[in-house]
Amino acid sequence: MTEDFTTQQEIQDFSLWDRMKEKRACYSFTIELTARCNNNCAHCYINLPAGDKEAKERELSVPQIMDIADQAVRLGALWCNITGGEPLIRLDFPEVYLGLKKKGLLVSVMTNATLITRDHIDLFKKYPPRDIEITVYGATRETYETVSRRPGSYDAFMRGLNLLLDAGIKVRLKAMAIHSNLHEIQKIAEFSRAFTKDYYRFDPQLHLRMDHNPARNEEIRRERLTPEEIVRLEQSDGERKNALEKGCDTLIVPDFCKTGCNHLFHCGTGNGDFVVGPDGMFRLCMSLCHPDCVYDLKSGTLEDAWQHFIPKVRDMRTNNQEFLKTCRVCPIINLCLWCPAHADLETGRLDGRVEYFCRVAHARAKALGYTGDQP
Amino acid sequence: MEHEVSLDRVYSPSKDIVARDVMGELIIVPLASGIGNTEDEIYTLNETGRAIWDRLDGRTNLREIAKSLAREFDAPPGEIELDIQGLIGELFHRRMVIAV
Repeated sequence: MTEDFTTQQEIQDFSLWDRMKEKRACYSFTIELTARCNNNCAHCYINLPAGDKEAKERELSVPQIMDIADQAVRLGALWCNITGGEPLIRLDFPEVYLGLKKKGLLVSVMTNATLITRDHIDLFKKYPPRDIEITVYGATRETYETVSRRPGSYDAFMRGLNLLLDAGIKVRLKAMAIHSNLHEIQKIAEFSRAFTKDYYRFDPQLHLRMDHNPARNEEIRRERLTPEEIVRLEQSDGERKNALEKGCDTLIVPDFCKTGCNHLFHCGTGNGDFVVGPDGMFRLCMSLCHPDCVYDLKSGTLEDAWQHFIPKVRDMRTNNQEFLKTCRVCPIINLCLWCPAHADLETGRLDGRVEYFCRVAHARAKALGYTGDQP
Repeated sequence: MEHEVSLDRVYSPSKDIVARDVMGELIIVPLASGIGNTEDEIYTLNETGRAIWDRLDGRTNLREIAKSLAREFDAPPGEIELDIQGLIGELFHRRMVIAV
């Protein structure tokens, strides 16, 4: 052998990333196969009943999904997250999964694991996913089913999880910290870390429904932790605390605030990845579903969305003085869940101020010892 | 996996991988289990490897591929044959090509 012809790299070390970022190439996307779910969690921002016929009729067909995936691959996409709702509720999930894999995508699946069958295991063993990410709603049957609001779901979850683990399939566990499971969030962490030593994360911040359903939004608000509870939880978790402190040190600097700018978007939305909803609507990120910020892939192309629509959205501006004098210049914006997408979900305005987010950010800043001027 | 690469044999990309061109770079993504150590690994080919890979059409044997490359790059056929044997041995070991 005269030289090494192949270079083997872990995906995070892939040398092409820098070039792709420079060119604003697309490197990943998320596809929500369905908004339907067999669970009925109160805190969920998307779930519709499993038998919702209208929701089912709106879902993309397999050929439509494959067409979008082909376009994404042409833009350079290397990995894909399949999510929902509960993606395994679709009987054609295996066809979608394998179809995406065969396009040369590294595929992750986000699921509640309750619908995992031996056929899924055979599929994942033969064609391994990048990972299976599973949400743990509770460490006990009582708490789990209080959250899922479906009797029998805990046993189904444990069965699915064990099938995956027994088959040696890479599983990652995560949790939402909400009122209904706060009392055993440490148990959930211990449970999860026992199975996935290198990875566990929890999220204490719930955002509202994409369908703006007022009754369901009220349920989400009831599940939200208070700012004090969030801070207490984050301070008790070493990894989380360190991450926040690191973010605090590197991000809370006066220069970060674009004080002379009225652009709405300063986040990374639309840079490198995108989301496709169950009905084929293109979104720049998971939460951004304002009518002016979505693009219908059933009547347009991904190329058009990527090259022309995203820049238009990212160029959106506001002259809302209240926003420009508060959130836009807030030095602790990095501790806040505020972004145009979440503001829209909460207030119907991309530049709306969200009192709850503000209180969480200030509580975090106080806990981290930040004493700078805050609006 | 022991395998003696023969210049008289025909090789083609395995169905257990997907080869893709991303921004001009050839990358090989494992599809089926058993290729790579984790599911997070992808592979790239260098320029020489890419030129050889592009000619693995499942019909042309390695000796013919070497002749074609020698003509195109004005290089000694013997050197090209060594490169080809090296690459194919490496890819065969990784299960990324099969002997037809």
